[in-house]
Amino acid sequence: MSVIEVQRPEWLRRKERGSTSVIRLMVGIALGLGRPAARLFLPVICAYFLLFSLDSRRASARYLARALGRASTLLDVFRHYHAFASCVLDRVFFLKNRTGEFDLRIHGEEIMTDILASGSGCILLGAHMGSFEVLRASGRKHPNLRVNMVMYEENAQKVSAVLNAVAPELAKDVISLGRPDSLITIQRCLEDGHFVGMLVDRSLTNERQTVHSFLGAPASFSVNPFRMLSILQKPVVLAIGLYRGGRRYDIHFERFADLGDIPRRLEPEVLHGLIGRYVARLEHYCRIAPYNWFNFYDIWR
Amino acid sequence: MMNENENDLALLIIDTLNLDFDIESAEPTTPLYGEGFGLDSIDILEVALAVSQRYGVKLKSDDKNNVEIFKSLRALSDYIQANKTK
Repeated sequence: MSVIEVQRPEWLRRKERGSTSVIRLMVGIALGLGRPAARLFLPVICAYFLLFSLDSRRASARYLARALGRASTLLDVFRHYHAFASCVLDRVFFLKNRTGEFDLRIHGEEIMTDILASGSGCILLGAHMGSFEVLRASGRKHPNLRVNMVMYEENAQKVSAVLNAVAPELAKDVISLGRPDSLITIQRCLEDGHFVGMLVDRSLTNERQTVHSFLGAPASFSVNPFRMLSILQKPVVLAIGLYRGGRRYDIHFERFADLGDIPRRLEPEVLHGLIGRYVARLEHYCRIAPYNWFNFYDIWR
Repeated sequence: MMNENENDLALLIIDTLNLDFDIESAEPTTPLYGEGFGLDSIDILEVALAVSQRYGVKLKSDDKNNVEIFKSLRALSDYIQANKTK
């Protein structure tokens, strides 16, 4: 199955046209001029968004104050935007498999090679932090590794637009939530030994949520992704690709749960503990790389 | 009215998911996904696993008919009856 084949209603397509054209412009600049020249545009783009996106700016400032542990300045917000824009730009190069231009440092790589050798498939637990694409790019040296990405419908459509523009062969690796058989698809992919990545830090208003302390204040997190872990019964690896400035990315793999660690019948307190462990790791990475958190809305609402 | 197969399936679903759902109020046309039984795609996977155990019917991921199959209790039950191996 694939979301791309589904013809979307007109209102959805219209709403998306704006962001898709910006994406195409970025792709054109990146591939036409190369990374160093394309990066010269980033400050202009950031300044533009700094002026015209008040809600994101406010959310960024609030987040940064918590992550940095001090009052945040406009310059901090600018750095935050710049890191985001850098990751969006670099994504184009990762999709084109041009990793040679980067300094990629992988921590915990043996975790991945072990699982890959066992052929068991695994779940990569990510977040909207830094770059997930760098993880996929770094795995491309293993020819038999396939990474599928699970996304909410709306994101899936946006991402598909990018993929279709840059690397159409990867578009089929997007699994969209929001179909009755989404989870059946995920399970089949895992059974075939694929890695399945999901970014589970965002909560949807219509989903079951649970509250955890995040950077010192209560925030809501979705319960469903963690219920999935219990049903899917596969090794779970935390996977975060942080942008460290310049050409450097630090890729972190951590064992989150080995096979059998997460019970099939989840008691509420076990589920809560599982999510708490994930949130604690997010906090850790927010503190070591504060400008990498790419949720530009107020998660403490 | 539900037939016997539909009734069995309804019970299997309610039992698998620990649903607080009154079997008396189930109609064969009751939707499974979203409203009706109120299942999400995680629940659907649970149901698919239970169905394959009980009836030997494997639900495929790339089946274009999946939306149809999970449309209602009756649709799923008909699909199971047509494909069951035990």
